[in-house]
Amino acid sequence: MKNAIEVENLTKYYGNLLAVDHINFGVRQREVFGFLGPNGAGKTTTQRMLTTLLEPTEGRIVINGHDLAHEAYPVKRKMGLVPEESNVYTELTAWDNLMFTARLYRVSHRERTERARDLLEAFGLWEKRDVKVEDFSKGMRRRLSIAMAIIHKPTLLFLDEPTPGLDAQSARAIRDLIRQMNAEGTTIFLTTHQIEEANQLCDRVAIINHGQIAAIDTPERLKRAFQRVQSVEVALEPGGNAHGQALAALPGVTTKIKMGDKWRLYTEDPSALLPRVMDYARSKDVRVISLSTLGPSLEDVFLEVTGQQVGTVRHEAREGGSQGQGRKARRGGQR
Amino acid sequence: MREGRRMVRLRDEIAQAWTVAVKDVKVYYLTPPMIMFGLILPFFLFFSFSIKRDIGVEVGLARLLALTTFFTASSAGPVIIPLERRMGTYDRLLAAPMSLITLLLGKTLVGTFFAAAVSTVPLCVGVLVLQAAVADFGTLLAGVVLASLAFSAFGLIFASIPTRSVGSIMMPSTLVRWPLMFISGIFVPLKEMAPWARALAYLSPLTYAQDLMNHAVLGVGTLNLWLDLALLSLLLVIFLIPAAWLHRRSRVLGY
Repeated sequence: MKNAIEVENLTKYYGNLLAVDHINFGVRQREVFGFLGPNGAGKTTTQRMLTTLLEPTEGRIVINGHDLAHEAYPVKRKMGLVPEESNVYTELTAWDNLMFTARLYRVSHRERTERARDLLEAFGLWEKRDVKVEDFSKGMRRRLSIAMAIIHKPTLLFLDEPTPGLDAQSARAIRDLIRQMNAEGTTIFLTTHQIEEANQLCDRVAIINHGQIAAIDTPERLKRAFQRVQSVEVALEPGGNAHGQALAALPGVTTKIKMGDKWRLYTEDPSALLPRVMDYARSKDVRVISLSTLGPSLEDVFLEVTGQQVGTVRHEAREGGSQGQGRKARRGGQR
Repeated sequence: MREGRRMVRLRDEIAQAWTVAVKDVKVYYLTPPMIMFGLILPFFLFFSFSIKRDIGVEVGLARLLALTTFFTASSAGPVIIPLERRMGTYDRLLAAPMSLITLLLGKTLVGTFFAAAVSTVPLCVGVLVLQAAVADFGTLLAGVVLASLAFSAFGLIFASIPTRSVGSIMMPSTLVRWPLMFISGIFVPLKEMAPWARALAYLSPLTYAQDLMNHAVLGVGTLNLWLDLALLSLLLVIFLIPAAWLHRRSRVLGY
């Protein structure tokens, strides 16, 4: 079976700035494909090219056997797009927003009224169907934006950062919907920097950095390929916070990160580090409250692949509010 | 078979252009920039240059109709498209299964709706309150519709400027539109112009709209009525071509 998306040598320049650098990848039919990368890495630019919103400088995109440069129409009919910002018409009601989109996709009157009702009920917006969207919360707008993207039952759905900024309930509902649509046969292209979300949802992920594909595989295989970012997590008492420097100095520790009342010690060999940690605790006469070994998380893989020191981004996130903000400034932000 | 598919596609594209236009009318008819540039401005300009001047009601009506169609229709695209780019809703339209020309036709229709609606205000006041006599209502209707279509497409050329700010489009748009108002036989009739000024006037699309309004309201124009109608129809096509090319160019730049 041919791939849902086939990308060959895709390149995008904004003036002299190379945003996407000759990338190649394929997305299989009925796959949830995660597209990860720090801000400004080229994720949104790539997605905009895949959804016909931006013309590539070079390269070829084939979707369901159609070359996007010459046969965009049949692709667009079967494609849904949920952009990062909920692009709903705030002056219209939820119902009118759905009807407008359905008409654009030439969904018949009977089908669009049935489908709109189903979607509004499924997203908990039925009671608000006649309310102007300007009075909706961010989560409600997001849900409506997704409903608008799938009212024509697309076989390929692009989602750009679907859950950031949403409450846990809305985020979970959206993740459940992605799973359900995928189970019903929709191919999902998920652009995100929510690494845990990608880990939970995606069959495969690609990590893009500086406009190039840095890694592409299943989350588990990627984790296995990065065994050097295994870690030992330890909580000591009393004075747990005071032991950071000493723990970091233990042989085999590459990086330390404070995780609440615990220390995470990155190492290539957790089994060798465990007894050293126990010896240290005994020598200092402190109790080990908890001690565990952790395999590499997808976030660790992401940080390794994107060349960011493990731990650095977490601290930036706490201080600055979101991951990799420094990168966005350096690369000129997303377009 | 292939012919049948083409017909279905054509029918779909017409319906989609209509859908875009109706949505825009619902969403943007009361936005502040639309009220400012599309509704207030033409009346302000008319009264600025016509008050305390000895012109008949019919002459004033013909001028005001030409100005309202011109300014209102040519403001729609430059107001709506950057607003949609800023809200991200323009992406929704670009990603929909319709051609760029269909989208631009939809936007052209919006300007036409607005201009036709605004034109009814001076028309009603002129005819019902000031007892102005309109020579030919059929020609007037055709003139308002054709001129609005052409000027709306004219506005789309400015709307292709790759920006998300209405102000960034309105500045160059005003720079071009205002001088046209003075060279198009609105305040100085074509017949009274020097030959070089008249040659300049023929380059302005507004000249043909004003002459058409003169035919419709006064019953007499300087140019042939059919020439005015034909040229305005042709201008619709002529303006849509660069508009489409420039909008495609904006897509290369990421707008």
